[in-house]
Amino acid sequence: MYKIILILSALVLSGCSDRLVRVMPYEKEYFAQEKMSLSPIAERAEQEGHIFLIREASAGGESAFQGGCGCR
Amino acid sequence: MKKVLLVALFLCANVFAAPQIGDNVTDFKLPNLYNLNQELSSTDFKGNVILLNLWASWCGGCKEEMPLFVELQEEFKESNFKILLSSIDKDPQSAISFLNGVDQNRVLNSFYDKEKTLPKAYKCMGMPSSYLIDANGKLVDIFIGSIDEDSLAKLKIKIKSLLGK
Repeated sequence: MYKIILILSALVLSGCSDRLVRVMPYEKEYFAQEKMSLSPIAERAEQEGHIFLIREASAGGESAFQGGCGCR
Repeated sequence: MKKVLLVALFLCANVFAAPQIGDNVTDFKLPNLYNLNQELSSTDFKGNVILLNLWASWCGGCKEEMPLFVELQEEFKESNFKILLSSIDKDPQSAISFLNGVDQNRVLNSFYDKEKTLPKAYKCMGMPSSYLIDANGKLVDIFIGSIDEDSLAKLKIKIKSLLGK
């Protein structure tokens, strides 16, 4: 009997776990707010990017296209 | 013992299953976005081919596709095709403000789903999501993500075939 209860609980919980852990797409209203972005101030993000490029000598290193080696 | 497990598995699978293409969609009643005291029902649109769009004003993709929906509804205004929008915004005013800019003539029928009942019922996998439903209330197609010009062309073909044009 205990086995059945255990298996049933495991099944039900595994079904629910996705909901418990994941934020569903329709629940992302607060995440969509500007203040939640990693760089909420666009001007500052641009400046930070520029400093990053100088410091790392890696023009284009922030994108997936070319760069990163500093040899461009 | 095996029977019990099978029944349990079947029940669990059913409880968590999302509506599939070919399933009959369930009716719903929600407030009218433009007049929250008035309740609209999906049964009011029975007999029409329906595109049910789940959207929010905080979702960039949802806003992107909205002008296409206005054009689409204008194109099919003489036929039995209706676009039903269901906003899940926390504040209905943000949805209304956005729609006032895009859909000045209010050609799109708008529901307000504060409790997010439709995304929960449809197990919405992304925002926006659109569901094409035929005149008999059967789910014909699911579009996850915003509809662009290409998918709009395909959607139009499907709508026309459902309308028998």
